[in-house]
Amino acid sequence: MSSAGSGAVALPAELVDFVESGVSVLVGTRDAALKPEAQRAVGCVVRGDRRVLAVLVPEGTGARTLANLAAGSPVAVTFSRIVDHRTVQVKGACERVREASAAEIEAARRYVSAFTEALYFIGMSRAISRRLGLEPLWVVEVGVGELFEQTPGPGAGARMEPRP
Amino acid sequence: MRLDDIPARCFAGVLPSIMATCSADGTPNVTYLSEVVRVDGRHVALSCQFFNKTKRNVLEHPLGCIEMYDPATFEAYRLEVRFDHEETAGAVFDAMRVRIDAIASHTGMAGVFKLRSADVYEVVAVERRDGYLAIGESVPVASEVTDARPKSEVRGIQLISQRVCCARTLDELLGSVLQALDDVLGFHHAMVLMPDETGAKLFVVASRGYEDTGVGAEVAIGDGLIGTVARERRMLRMSGVENELRYGRAIRAGVSRTRDRGRLAPEIPLAGLADAQSMMALPLVANDRLVGVLAVESRARMAFEEWHELFFEIVAGQVGLAIDNVVLREREADEEEDGPVPRPSQRLDAAKTIRFHVADESVFVGDEYLIRNVPAKILWKLLREHQKGRTTFSNRELRVDPFIGLPALRDNLESRLVLLRKRLEEKCPQIQLVPTGRGRFRLDVTCTLALEERA
Repeated sequence: MSSAGSGAVALPAELVDFVESGVSVLVGTRDAALKPEAQRAVGCVVRGDRRVLAVLVPEGTGARTLANLAAGSPVAVTFSRIVDHRTVQVKGACERVREASAAEIEAARRYVSAFTEALYFIGMSRAISRRLGLEPLWVVEVGVGELFEQTPGPGAGARMEPRP
Repeated sequence: MRLDDIPARCFAGVLPSIMATCSADGTPNVTYLSEVVRVDGRHVALSCQFFNKTKRNVLEHPLGCIEMYDPATFEAYRLEVRFDHEETAGAVFDAMRVRIDAIASHTGMAGVFKLRSADVYEVVAVERRDGYLAIGESVPVASEVTDARPKSEVRGIQLISQRVCCARTLDELLGSVLQALDDVLGFHHAMVLMPDETGAKLFVVASRGYEDTGVGAEVAIGDGLIGTVARERRMLRMSGVENELRYGRAIRAGVSRTRDRGRLAPEIPLAGLADAQSMMALPLVANDRLVGVLAVESRARMAFEEWHELFFEIVAGQVGLAIDNVVLREREADEEEDGPVPRPSQRLDAAKTIRFHVADESVFVGDEYLIRNVPAKILWKLLREHQKGRTTFSNRELRVDPFIGLPALRDNLESRLVLLRKRLEEKCPQIQLVPTGRGRFRLDVTCTLALEERA
């Protein structure tokens, strides 16, 4: 387990725009028997103090992820920008799972628009990618524990030293 | 649902797959994967370029969860996998290695970025992610996704067989193969490259579908996508070429911050289409020798699917042998005269200056570069003899001429003559090499020539 407690560190300010833009948001959890689950989320909203990320997970595909979290799984969230593969991974603890507010559903819609444009850049038709299912939408509140540089290459996996 | 039920295009690397693993102490990790290969009905292989967290995790706790995406519909598939073993040799490893080497070489990272292992996983469960896409209007599968067209596929092989069998010359052979690929299969952009005398480079000897024919352009063996295929003698199929190269560039940016930065080389420009989205490059091998590379490109992202590998393997096998045969036939029949070939009109165009630069063995027409090395020396010899009144020549005399300096064994005179003929057609149509029979040709010149030799 990660040694850092939930929300132990703040996401660096310069990463806020990055994780809230149309980057891919991937969620990793595991069940009690340590069976991993990979999940695509539909956006992320950073709380004001930058210590908690509200990760938006659709119920349609998220049943296992949500069950894993209910059973106390730690969380890995990877943010990856399609155009240049810039990638950051946040590890932490799930502080709460709740239904999304209207504002968060709106944020997920904006996310899908931005993600659709990013996919369009690599040749995916907009008509296809904007079909990503959203509702019912759940919010997974992840306390930021550790940050890792994950851009593919020799430096991938290095811990990023967060500033206070 | 079984692994075989997932459409082949999901494995083409157009939309990268994701994977979650977890360490023995239960900390999850989630990442994009660069390549997922279907090994058989129950196994997939992932490429391992760096000893990363995923690899570390599965070595201590073998379970993983992969989500894959259909690039045509964006449907998602979920695989539960269990790490089985890693391979550092064999067919799966080699096929992955060619792709990684090609990306590495193209982006200037030869020897820096390479495949460490092909990691084979047993697939324990497969399901389609219901609910991944909102229910709503269904989207027709994009037209760029090719259907397997068995009729035209078989017809294509048949047509290529016919054409390669009746081609009398190398030029005719290559032209007809490229035309058949275009006519029957709709592959409009293709080229054939053949090795030069040094064996260290390939040159474009025939092409179809490019604004600039590119004939004469060179690729060092081992360099870039095509050069890697030549060195490894293995085919390469890439969908989403631009995405693959972006992945390479991301890694390159990382390497440039390490002490390996000195080993980076400049990126190699793409041969052919600058905006190719898919490409296949196949080694042409005859009797265990590399006789060339066939490269086929498309602006569509998914122009090539799995079945094309088999199809093009058959085509490449035929073309490789046919190249060898046609050259042999041309030689056996050396100096066999056909009937008279009509001469061009005697009208003379404006005078041209042809310059031979001894230092780099190049020929210029006026101020424009024409050709260099062996074909340049062939042309220079022909023009000098022509000034003395000779117009007919044989391949045999070129072969033994010490000035031209072809290797004694396994020369490539035929492909060099094809190149010379095409360059003249493009840059100086007043000089023509007209075949007059197998192994014989005539030099027709329809302008006054001034020859200059420079040191």
